[in-house]
Amino acid sequence: MTTGERLDDIEAALEGARSEGLRIIEAAADLGSLAEARTRALGRKAPLARARSGLGGITDPTDRKKLGQLANAVGDELEAALTSKRGGFERAELDARWERERVDVTLPGDAPPVGSLHPLTKTAWEIVDIFIGLGYRVAEGPEIELAKYNFEALNFPEHHPSLSPQETFYIEGHGDEVVLRTHTSPVQIRVMESQAPPVYVVIPGRTYRRDVMDATHLSAFFQLEGLAVDEGITMGDLKGSLGTFAREIFGRDLDVRLRPHYFPFTEPSAELDVQCFVCRGSGCRVCKGEGWIEVLGCGMVHPFLLEWVGYDAARYSGFAFGMGVERIAALAHGVTDIRSFYDNDVRFLAQFATGGGGP
Amino acid sequence: MRVSFKWLKELVPVDVAPEKLGEMLSMSGTKLESIHRPGNSIGDVVVAEVLAVKDHPKADNLTLVEVDSGDGTRSVVCGARNLAVGDRVPLAQVGARLGEATIAERRIRGEVSQGMLCSGAELGVSRDHSGILVLPSDLALGSDIVAALGLDDAVLEFEITPNRPDCMGIIGIAREVAALLGAKLRVPDAQVGEADVMAAQVEVEIVDPAGCPRYVARYIEGLAVAGSPAWLAARLMTAGVRPISNVVDATNYVLLETGHPLHAFDAARVTDGHIVVRRADQGEELVTLDGSKRSLDPDDLVIADPARPLGMAGVMGGEDSEVSGDTTAVILEAAYFDPPSIGRTSRRHVLRTEASARFERGADPDMPPYAAARALALMAELGGGRPSGAVVDAYPRPIERPRVTLRAERTSTLLGYEVDAASQARHLESIGVGVERAGARLEAGIPSWRPDLRIEEDLIEEVARLAGFDRLPATLPSGVNGGLEPAQALERHLRRTLSGTGMREAWTSPLSSQRDLDALGLGEDHPARKMVVLANPMLEDESSMRTTLLPGLLRAAAHNLAHHTGGVALFEMSRVYEPTGGLPREPLTLGAVWSGTRTPQTWRGPGTKWDFFSAKGVLEATFGAAGVEHAGWSPVSGMPLHPTRAANVSVGGHTAGTLGELHPDVCERFDVARGTVVAELALPALFASPLTRVKAAGLSRFPAVYIDLAVVVGEAIPAATVTLAIQQAGAPEATSVRLFDLYRGEQVTAGRKSLAYALELRSPEGTLTDDDAARVRDRIVDALSHEFGAELRA
Ligand SMILES: [Zn+2]
Repeated sequence: MTTGERLDDIEAALEGARSEGLRIIEAAADLGSLAEARTRALGRKAPLARARSGLGGITDPTDRKKLGQLANAVGDELEAALTSKRGGFERAELDARWERERVDVTLPGDAPPVGSLHPLTKTAWEIVDIFIGLGYRVAEGPEIELAKYNFEALNFPEHHPSLSPQETFYIEGHGDEVVLRTHTSPVQIRVMESQAPPVYVVIPGRTYRRDVMDATHLSAFFQLEGLAVDEGITMGDLKGSLGTFAREIFGRDLDVRLRPHYFPFTEPSAELDVQCFVCRGSGCRVCKGEGWIEVLGCGMVHPFLLEWVGYDAARYSGFAFGMGVERIAALAHGVTDIRSFYDNDVRFLAQFATGGGGP
Repeated sequence: MRVSFKWLKELVPVDVAPEKLGEMLSMSGTKLESIHRPGNSIGDVVVAEVLAVKDHPKADNLTLVEVDSGDGTRSVVCGARNLAVGDRVPLAQVGARLGEATIAERRIRGEVSQGMLCSGAELGVSRDHSGILVLPSDLALGSDIVAALGLDDAVLEFEITPNRPDCMGIIGIAREVAALLGAKLRVPDAQVGEADVMAAQVEVEIVDPAGCPRYVARYIEGLAVAGSPAWLAARLMTAGVRPISNVVDATNYVLLETGHPLHAFDAARVTDGHIVVRRADQGEELVTLDGSKRSLDPDDLVIADPARPLGMAGVMGGEDSEVSGDTTAVILEAAYFDPPSIGRTSRRHVLRTEASARFERGADPDMPPYAAARALALMAELGGGRPSGAVVDAYPRPIERPRVTLRAERTSTLLGYEVDAASQARHLESIGVGVERAGARLEAGIPSWRPDLRIEEDLIEEVARLAGFDRLPATLPSGVNGGLEPAQALERHLRRTLSGTGMREAWTSPLSSQRDLDALGLGEDHPARKMVVLANPMLEDESSMRTTLLPGLLRAAAHNLAHHTGGVALFEMSRVYEPTGGLPREPLTLGAVWSGTRTPQTWRGPGTKWDFFSAKGVLEATFGAAGVEHAGWSPVSGMPLHPTRAANVSVGGHTAGTLGELHPDVCERFDVARGTVVAELALPALFASPLTRVKAAGLSRFPAVYIDLAVVVGEAIPAATVTLAIQQAGAPEATSVRLFDLYRGEQVTAGRKSLAYALELRSPEGTLTDDDAARVRDRIVDALSHEFGAELRA
């Protein structure tokens, strides 16, 4: 055999290895048979390897290089065919896997148990937080209170109707000295007795009156009181502070007004009205046609109280205010019967699981 | 206080509409409640005379009334039986309008009714539905009722604050109006015809001048008691007062006008014309005008004659000396009584009257002579009497009119804006305060009708309200460092945590009774039985202050379970009340109830129910949130809990409360499902170590080794004891010890149980080797074997 013939044979063998290899690879049906095909096309016993083994006998460097390059090209081509084939199989397998793993995203999710804070808690916190923002702290005091703190220290005259057992609960065994507090105001006295000015406190708490229960009255209810005593406190400070509060709860663009009123423990005294947030002043059912909604009672701390606690009434002045949390919550949430707050019906409570505060 | 706009205009010129006037009064402290125009809803109702009253032939409760309204006779079917021939009555003619209704001719049980006769309520002049309104006899037949009764008026109803007794009369309101409009008040004359041939027929003796500083008495005789004329009856009705007779109506008219209560005694019933004002004697009795027999208290002030009490001073007169149809002479009382004394009597006898309401707030001590003269003049005019010109004015304790100094700059300082001294003086003078001004210093003479003006701030309020609160600036004071105390922050944190576990926060009533504790099955000597008791409860079930939150929560749970839910989880953080020698303790308490479904069955799997351990998990999470590291759980038995499914919970070595299934009997009494779990914990126990700001600990950089360990121990050994032993023996490497299985059965000896734990071992110093882990494990196994005879489970 001439050198030329041998070269031709080897070249033909390489070409045969190429076509045979490609056929084998093409015939593979899955990843398993593809591994087998690799052995048959590129393994040590594959036609390519056999053809490559003939290269050792070529002495001419040019020829050897040329056939070597051809062998490498065939090898590369078969590798590429394998890779492409494997890629196809992998993509198909992945597609099948995704399909197997598909979920119906419209099925309902696992609901963790949902709880809720009571609307009165949320309302009280909302109010308290407004005043914390204005520089107040929170004070509390006893619900079963000395009559002295509930009335006398607050400048109630001794014959005031509130003192009567028709209006106020008295505690058995204590004569007329211990009552269920009728307002949170006695805590004002306790706070002032316990510290020197400046005093900036809000006082949430349970209070009691002998009212027959109806849609707007409860015998046990929740009040929130505030007190600011400092040098130079003015009634303008009262107006600014309470206006800020009312607008934050009911609507930042609403008008507020102070209307003269009377309380034994403030002088001057006032009620704060906010423009009706439903009709914006034109008159509707919520505001009973007045265009304004009464929000709270307030006034400048009566000098009698300051003197009672030993503050220098010539140096310090202050303002105080008090509101019914049920009323504020009822207004803010459109609740028409405040007894609903104490029924604890989950259908009612659940409505307050969502939604924050703010106007 | 109801104010007729027409009447008001007689006392002060008003150039604004009633609505505007109401608004102005509201904004100066006399709050308008409503405006009512009684005439607006009435049309074609006329004055008619009753000619005959016959029974309806077919209906016992109806009558046929023949009436004449000046243009012929008509027959009207009527349901009331208070009519007599000759009465004048309001006739709604066919076609008349009454509110929404239009009157038509119709047949009632076979008889034709040509119109309708009206009650006071139907005309809006009284609340009386029971009978037909009988009109004054001086009204012309056929005249329009709206004009005849002055119903073409606006009636303004005001809320009068208790400090303003002066506004409980129309003169007082008119004074406010005059100040607001810059107009002049016209107080009516009180001229009594000088028929003073008569000597004083009355003697007044004030035994208790502290209770009665002033007593004016006047005398009138030759009276003919009869009905009042239309104008007077109409005025009273508009103000909501029922006309009675000319004499009584005269006193009521003056009461409405001046705000000063008067009383007319039938002079024939007053022994010797001798009035004695004194405290009641022990055991004295009096039948008051309302027909009640009242036992008087020695603190009650009475008006008496030498023989007996005639009336409760300033509260209500006696039946015995009441003006009647036979009265011809009257002793008229106009007095000033000590307000606290009247208040005490009014409260003692639970009797609030127009008179007591005014006297207890403080009447005008200068008013009696004027008010008496006004009433006397009216009586003379209406009843044809001859008044005595003599005035008996016993005034042993003249009421001082205080003088109050107002520093003009103090007004500006307190209000927060500049008001000059001259305007302050002008405002005060507009309401009758006498002002002497020396520069910025105002010496104010307080008028007798303003008992509420006592100190400088009272005057500042007058200036502020008359200037208008809208002039106040809106400013903010400096405040302090606002914020919550640590315990308050923790309280909020716990409420949030609990609601985050799926519980609903409830608010229940703090009023309770022993019955609630009966329902819980508590023994007579249970500490919760010691309750704070109300002296004057409104309801038996609300007669004490609660000592436990559970009854309220169980009722709320039952309400929810009965209505709509398969399960409910409620908590409340509120006070309970424990009697002590002094003021009760009011510890903040956490109560909780879990009942029924916790999570419902879904397409993903079965649901879960609340039980002891799901509830315990909630409490454990709560303790975690409160920074409580170790809570102790020990079995407890006793009502209201299940005898073997309840635990005492201790925190920091102190008992905090209990968690347990409710006793089946209690479940039944409260109508909640069996297996309902409750907890009640004293929160001060959790608050003992208030939550401090968290300091973050460094994390180990080295990997953990995880091992499982199953040990078999005697059934009686509590799991927590084993867990604690593992934690102690495994320290410091065992950073987590979690019980993941509990097994009793074939593979372990009877009377023993297998507890399987998953341990995480970790060191801050390096990676633990298998040998290190084995050493820790051996340490633990040794300890358990030693302490409990535990064996490793194969
Ligand atoms: Zn409105």
